[in-house]
Amino acid sequence: MFSLALKNLLFYKGRTLTTFLLSLCSTVLFVVYVAFMDGSHESMLKNSLSIYTGAIQVMQEGHHENPSYDTLLEDLPSVMQTLKNIEGIRAYTPRLESFALLSSEEDSVGAMVTGIVPESEALVSRLKEALVKGRYLDSEDSNGLYMGEELAKRLGVDLGDEIALVGSATDYSFAAERFQIIGLFRTGLFEFDASSAFVNKAYFDALMLSETMASSIVVTVDDLEKAETVAGEIAGQMPSRVEVLTWKKLMASMVQAMEVDSLFGYISMGLFFIVVFFVIMIFGFINISGRIRELGLLRALGVHSYEILKLLLLESAILAFASVLAGTLIGAYLAYFYEVNPIIIKGMAETYKAYGIISDEVPTRFDLFTIAWNAMVVLLLNFLAILYPVYYIRQFTPTEAMRHV
Amino acid sequence: MVRLEHVHKYFNRDTQREVHALDDISLVIEDGEFTVITGTSGCGKTTLLNAIGALDSVDSGRITIGETEITQLDERERAALRLQDIGFVFQAYNLIPVLNVAENIGFIMRLQGYHHEAIEKRIREVAAILEIDHRLSAMPNELSGGQQQRVAVARAVAAKPGLVLADEPTANLDSKNSQRLMQMMKNLNEIEKTTILFASHDDYVVEMSRRQIILSDGHVEKM
Repeated sequence: MFSLALKNLLFYKGRTLTTFLLSLCSTVLFVVYVAFMDGSHESMLKNSLSIYTGAIQVMQEGHHENPSYDTLLEDLPSVMQTLKNIEGIRAYTPRLESFALLSSEEDSVGAMVTGIVPESEALVSRLKEALVKGRYLDSEDSNGLYMGEELAKRLGVDLGDEIALVGSATDYSFAAERFQIIGLFRTGLFEFDASSAFVNKAYFDALMLSETMASSIVVTVDDLEKAETVAGEIAGQMPSRVEVLTWKKLMASMVQAMEVDSLFGYISMGLFFIVVFFVIMIFGFINISGRIRELGLLRALGVHSYEILKLLLLESAILAFASVLAGTLIGAYLAYFYEVNPIIIKGMAETYKAYGIISDEVPTRFDLFTIAWNAMVVLLLNFLAILYPVYYIRQFTPTEAMRHV
Repeated sequence: MVRLEHVHKYFNRDTQREVHALDDISLVIEDGEFTVITGTSGCGKTTLLNAIGALDSVDSGRITIGETEITQLDERERAALRLQDIGFVFQAYNLIPVLNVAENIGFIMRLQGYHHEAIEKRIREVAAILEIDHRLSAMPNELSGGQQQRVAVARAVAAKPGLVLADEPTANLDSKNSQRLMQMMKNLNEIEKTTILFASHDDYVVEMSRRQIILSDGHVEKM
């Protein structure tokens, strides 16, 4: 039967080649499309996490839902000491966030002013790399302010200008200070750049009375896929009222947006596959319709209809496996090639900066598991597409089939 | 031996277009016969042959081949019977287009599970009798009509079935090829003692056969 199936495929070259190419192109397209989609999601995620959020944040229970001075981490040295001994952590840094009014000679704007440890912050976020003018903070800075470029525009200030900060300290007493702008940054996230300013935490702590406090400790991990495991490990060693959140919770809206985007991506591909399915089915139908006499002859000679079914499914399987295998190899190669050598579209980062795109490269994700899964989908489609034509042929008796024109 | 008892077959039964294709057919065909069922077009020759060959069912009556009553068999058993016990030659050659001559001849034996060497030996044997041994590697579309029909006959007899049914085997052949084919089939009948039953209105086939069954409007007019 296998030999006969193979001969049938080779004999009806035109039909075989058309079906083969159709299935092959669908597979390539699917594998590459999903690689681009996953790549862009992964890139958005990594960029967003690396700009500011980090993979894990350690904070006092309730602070994430309701950030206030009442929910600050209070025994910061002890928590930092605990993190030092946990495997899988690449770096970590404390932050003290405070909402304050910043005033220039021209204007006043409410902004998030955050005290950071400049050296360790540089290991967990892109704040340092986002510098566009002046310099980044260092541990010796006192009243130096590192400010978002868009925030500076809103205040009408530039490098070297002075800013007045008015806010409340952690004990809710009045806190005010003059700061000098030492650097401007641009992360590409417009909202962030328009509302964020950073100061040296050591100096900020003195002003805000928060020497051993932090809003959160931001943690980066060696492997993002293992963030949940590391978070579990951290949580196990923390006091009871400290909670450990991973990026999935911290960036819930982004995760949701990506899931929606994936859903729409799969719906688009689903529509494409419906078309492919019907084209393969129609080709299968034409192919089998053209062979009704021949299949009737086989039945007349004593080949049972079950064997005919096996023959047709075998032909379909050979074609499907060959085309999906070839398509998967080509698709996988393209996905790998574009992961290593990304396509560059000039101006893309500028256009999509609100989505966390900080590069003109179109990211691609080469993942063997996803590729194998994609291949299985196309393979299944091929099998499903042949079922109706096979059912159709079974309606004929041998003599009806042999008389068929 | 093939035995038919009071066989009836209708097409479009209980409609205005009802045709009583086989009307109370009873006959016996002994082993080794070289017999033709003849009659005018539409008299039921092919229908009768298809019924005997378990290709079509009948509405009533009994058809027995050897000890097997084929009118009692289900589709799977009928397919097995056709494969094991009956050889078919059709009017339109009906070779398998993707197989070459040798593969077409050995097709039934291969399905029956014969050993490769036995198949090869038998292919050479029947191909020699039917004078197609020089075209064994040719594809069906490379053969003339006469050659194709001889390959069809070779396929039908290769597995040594008890019964060979040939439906208008000479209809698409010229007289020279018809005579040649009939002579070869007669030789096979004599050499291998194969029962061969034709449906034909070709005078030469009728003349060559040793027994004629004449059908008229679905019933046996003369045996």
